[in-house]
Amino acid sequence: MKAIYGLYSDPHSAERAMHRLRSSCSALGFEVRNICLATSEPLDEFDLGWKEQKTAMPWLAALGGLIGGTSGYLLVSLTQRAYPLPTGNMPIVALWPTGVIVYELTMLGAILTTFISLLASARLPRWRKDVYDPAVAEGKILVGVINPREAAHDDLAKMLLDAGAEQVKEFASR
Amino acid sequence: MPAHSPEQLNEDVLRPLVHTTWRFYLTAGILGSIVLAALAAFIYQVYSGLGVSGLDRPVFWGFYITNFVFWIGISHAGTLISAILRLTNAPWRRPVTRCAEAITVFALVIGGMFPIIHLGRPYLFFWLFPYPSERGIWPNFHSPLLWDAFAISTYLTGSSIFLFLPTIPDFALLRDKASGWRRKLYRALSLGWTGTPRQWHRLEMAMRIMAVVILPVAVSVHTIVSWDFAMAPVPMWHSTVFGPYFVAGAIFSGIAALIIAMAFLRKAFHLEQYLTPFHFDKLGKLLLLMSLVWAYFIIAERLTVWYGNESPEMAVYWSTQQGRFTHLFWFMVFCNLVIPFAILSIKHFRFSIAGPVIASTTVVIGMWIERFLIIVPPLERKYLPYSWGTYHPTWVEITITAGTFAAMALLYMIFSKLVPIISVWEMKLGWQQEAEASRPVASEAQLPHMIPGADLPAPGN
Amino acid sequence: MARQWGMVIDLDRCTGCEACVVACHAENNIATVGEDQAARGRAMHWIRVERYWEGNFPEVRVTYRPVLCQQCGDAPCESVCPTYASYHNPEGLNAQIYNRCIGTRYCGNACPYNVRFFNFFNPVWDKPLNLQLNPDVSVRSVGIMEKCTFCIQRIKVAEFRAQAEKRPLKDEEFNPACVQSCPPTAMVFGDLDNPQSEVSRLARSNRATRLLEEVGTAPNVIYLRSVS
Repeated sequence: MKAIYGLYSDPHSAERAMHRLRSSCSALGFEVRNICLATSEPLDEFDLGWKEQKTAMPWLAALGGLIGGTSGYLLVSLTQRAYPLPTGNMPIVALWPTGVIVYELTMLGAILTTFISLLASARLPRWRKDVYDPAVAEGKILVGVINPREAAHDDLAKMLLDAGAEQVKEFASR
Repeated sequence: MPAHSPEQLNEDVLRPLVHTTWRFYLTAGILGSIVLAALAAFIYQVYSGLGVSGLDRPVFWGFYITNFVFWIGISHAGTLISAILRLTNAPWRRPVTRCAEAITVFALVIGGMFPIIHLGRPYLFFWLFPYPSERGIWPNFHSPLLWDAFAISTYLTGSSIFLFLPTIPDFALLRDKASGWRRKLYRALSLGWTGTPRQWHRLEMAMRIMAVVILPVAVSVHTIVSWDFAMAPVPMWHSTVFGPYFVAGAIFSGIAALIIAMAFLRKAFHLEQYLTPFHFDKLGKLLLLMSLVWAYFIIAERLTVWYGNESPEMAVYWSTQQGRFTHLFWFMVFCNLVIPFAILSIKHFRFSIAGPVIASTTVVIGMWIERFLIIVPPLERKYLPYSWGTYHPTWVEITITAGTFAAMALLYMIFSKLVPIISVWEMKLGWQQEAEASRPVASEAQLPHMIPGADLPAPGN
Repeated sequence: MARQWGMVIDLDRCTGCEACVVACHAENNIATVGEDQAARGRAMHWIRVERYWEGNFPEVRVTYRPVLCQQCGDAPCESVCPTYASYHNPEGLNAQIYNRCIGTRYCGNACPYNVRFFNFFNPVWDKPLNLQLNPDVSVRSVGIMEKCTFCIQRIKVAEFRAQAEKRPLKDEEFNPACVQSCPPTAMVFGDLDNPQSEVSRLARSNRATRLLEEVGTAPNVIYLRSVS
């Protein structure tokens, strides 16, 4: 994978670079999804691709909770019936004690689903080298294009610089 | 604004991770030896039998269960407070959340050990968990101890994830800054985070869901801990007020622990710029509020017992009001109500760091005593006067109790050496939002001047 | 056939001689813990004789009440046990399975009568006392709870014998050690569900009371006491 990117120190110029890349993608022969961005903080105040983000995570969490709660009920009722031992003149599967376990496992289901769906949809962990520059840690914003056409290379570099990039760099892995 | 410098923040937060003074090693050594002493005491107890503790009949639960309830209570510092502050979007939470969430995880680990430490046969603790065993029997889900096992496992899992998620971007930052073994460690912990919009968006969404889910879990955990007592027909245990009473007490002691930890970090790591008197004022107010809520609950509990005047409950009641535990009871009220009220209701003291720290210290002591007074006096005075008893802790229990406080401090110190104790990206995000809010027209004003219209390619070309 | 074992203790007959306590110790292999431990409240007596003084000196009257596990119908100790060490057996006995016990001691706290005992140390019997251990009763190790079983080993032997001889189990065919050894015959044991049995006849007496009945434990030990 190859990439060309610019490093920006303020979000406004990064935003500008983003705008220009988007409006010229067909001219320079790349897809919008090939535009890459890396920041050291979430910049959801700016038009940098946050607004397009959508996720089903809350619904997945609810589903995970449902699965957790159901498995909690099955765990309690099946195990208690497998070897029925009366205690304290309570029913073998009593409502309130079962409810407590179902409640906790519902929550556990939602928690674990959220964690797993975060990892899956944010594609973590990933050990393959992504477009990245250690300068991002210093607060720089990385805006670039993955696998640009050779011919468009210089145009892209110019465009990134014109938008206010402090530096334009290339990235290559494998 | 000079205070809001991301470079300075990086510097200040990362300094403690690489710079370790002799004071750190000395403190860690002292704490470590206390923990080792506690470990030795526990091994001695397992070897000889629980008889080396001060427990007897009818006081089958003593210091160990007190510690259990106390530490589970302290654990409500983090996740609960941080989740509430996140959901209400209180901007001052940003430097506070990480140290709070860390308290939760460590306090839960320590508290969760006590039900095992106190077992008659601790090597069989796994019989509490449901697994298909060779014994052909499953655990009894009617037992509040089973509820405990489930609630605490859920809470520990949830709060560990709640602590870990917002740390991932900071691990990525450290990966780029650190060298040597730290670099390898942080590379693994950062999971290959680069900070794409997709990653940020999912992370923020996950934190929002977690904050919503972890709140009812935290409330349920301490409610279930209270039900360990309230479900048994023991005078002054068997009470409906216990659920909310324990939750309120847990938040109360949790805030106190957080204030102490923050003051310690501020001093040791020179974070004066981030953990300001302003934060101590906010948390101090919260502590004052919880102190009054706590007082309300204890009045509600005591008054109904006294007015109802049932003889088994009155035996317990009088042993704390006019008997063996009178001094301890009034000392607890002094620690939990008088001192916090005297200090924290005065603005000047609240803004001094020392004021909230002194109040928090007495609250932590007072809340430990509160748990002791909830557990022991009812067991000593349970129904038939012929079988009443008394409880005196032994050196084994005292050593193990001291060991847990040392273990908490030690774990926290080690954590603060490996993980930035202030969430760097959340601080930066806060500044960014502040800056954007304070100059809303800046971006529009800049744009036309910076972008010549000719530069834009014609659409569809 | 379902039975409900129960006991009647006539407090007007009890002399407080503690023969039941001694018999219980011998029958059930209950360890003696020694002076120091007993002083710390760790003595184990599955049955104890409580003494109460009524009135002021010199007009004092002493009354006794033997207290053993009340074999509750709604036993608080059973539902709190996480491992089913304490559970309700089909004959209405509040059974304790020693091997399942991990020693949370929750049952001991939940019991309103304080009749559950914990082995704080491994029990030892000084020689030659080790030779008089009852082979029908298991010896409990350190870290587990134990309590009165209504001499379940005797119940089982009697049931097996009746089964082998193909006849119904007769009431008063056997007795727990405490009942057997009671000189003034203050204690009666039997099936409460059988209306003909001595124990159920006495349980219907107008002197019958149950200890701490208001806690809601539905005890199966009935105390007879004239109300003066």
